[in-house]
Amino acid sequence: MPNLKEIKRRIQSVKNTQQITKAMKLVAASKLRKAQQAILEARPYAIKMMDVLNHLAARCNSDLHPLLDVRDGKRHLLLVITSDKGLCGGFNGTIIRKTAQFLKDNESHDHSLIVAGKKGNDVFSNRPVTILEDIIGWTKDFDYLKAQAIGENLATLFTEKKVDKVSMVYNEFKSVMQQEVVIEQLLPVAPEKLAHKEGTFAVDYVYEPDEEAILDDLLKRYMTVEVYRAFLESSASEHGARMTAMDAATRNAGDMIGGLTLTYNKARQAYITKELIEIVNGAEALKG
Amino acid sequence: MSQKLTLNIVTPAKQLVSEQVDQVNAPGSEGDLGILYDHAPILTNLRSGQLSYEVDGETIALVVSGGYLEVTDNRVTVLAETGEFLHEIDRERAERAHAAAEKQLSQPDISEEDFIETQKKLFRAIARLENSENN
Repeated sequence: MPNLKEIKRRIQSVKNTQQITKAMKLVAASKLRKAQQAILEARPYAIKMMDVLNHLAARCNSDLHPLLDVRDGKRHLLLVITSDKGLCGGFNGTIIRKTAQFLKDNESHDHSLIVAGKKGNDVFSNRPVTILEDIIGWTKDFDYLKAQAIGENLATLFTEKKVDKVSMVYNEFKSVMQQEVVIEQLLPVAPEKLAHKEGTFAVDYVYEPDEEAILDDLLKRYMTVEVYRAFLESSASEHGARMTAMDAATRNAGDMIGGLTLTYNKARQAYITKELIEIVNGAEALKG
Repeated sequence: MSQKLTLNIVTPAKQLVSEQVDQVNAPGSEGDLGILYDHAPILTNLRSGQLSYEVDGETIALVVSGGYLEVTDNRVTVLAETGEFLHEIDRERAERAHAAAEKQLSQPDISEEDFIETQKKLFRAIARLENSENN
């Protein structure tokens, strides 16, 4: 017969866990609200920036700029954005798997990584890939200036021809329940991406100071904005994933408590029945 | 029907303004611009300074730093690196930034890049200080 005390202790322990997961869910929810706000407010800037860049690139002789330089080299740098903390469902697992798959599919290329987030670094530091840099602890107070530093670093690596291509791998925030891993080329700034919106008619613009200067400035800033956006997307996705995971965990704990309580009640009932039988037997024996 | 411009001011952190306005005055890198209805398409860099716009005779001013201004089709788009309404300016912070930048600029062994960067910071601080004074 199952030990009553044992079951009771288990129920208590599951209840404790449930309280923790519930608290984590609430924390994630409030952080998610903030992160979601941030990404929603950053998107208009990124979109407008893209518009301006498109207008400009459609009219400029853009082959001249070093950040647009398409090279045949095989050195490919990936910026992989993971989180610092776990307990967020498949968030890190998916991105690590996708990255590994990507490395495998493009074995002929010479890959190197810049990994943001502790979780990604834990995994990739044990694998045979070059990690140029790790950015650990970014999830705390990430801001535009940090994105700028990262962006400039990437641009320098590219313009000094240490790498021929730079892509970002990150979780894009679709909705609270849904994140999607995207692999996006950052450098060279892709011409097809630029030509994307050429429906806009070519008006004669006045440029101050001149086209090249603006293009140069704009491209640099565009990079920063893209990096910034990617990190914000990732951050919002992480909190979303954590909230969903913790919600599921809380529900599972609830189910478990239900099951255990049922077992506990059955065991208790059996115990009472047994005691009753013993008493009745005893009384019968005395009567006899 | 009055002829209005659609003004959008966005920074990486936030969409600051999205409004129908009569006039925009902006600090272009080559000189100040006043933009009215039917302005020619233009794309320009901005320097640190005061950007103001007028709606129905009322003038609203901000301090912006860095970024672009684009005018197409009576839509004015300002992509600024930072932007604050005058009453939001933190004078103390600007003063600290001003002092720090000046100190750094006076060092003899400063590199060219740092010089340019710091100079930008200095201009930004000055723009903030100047404009919050006439508040």
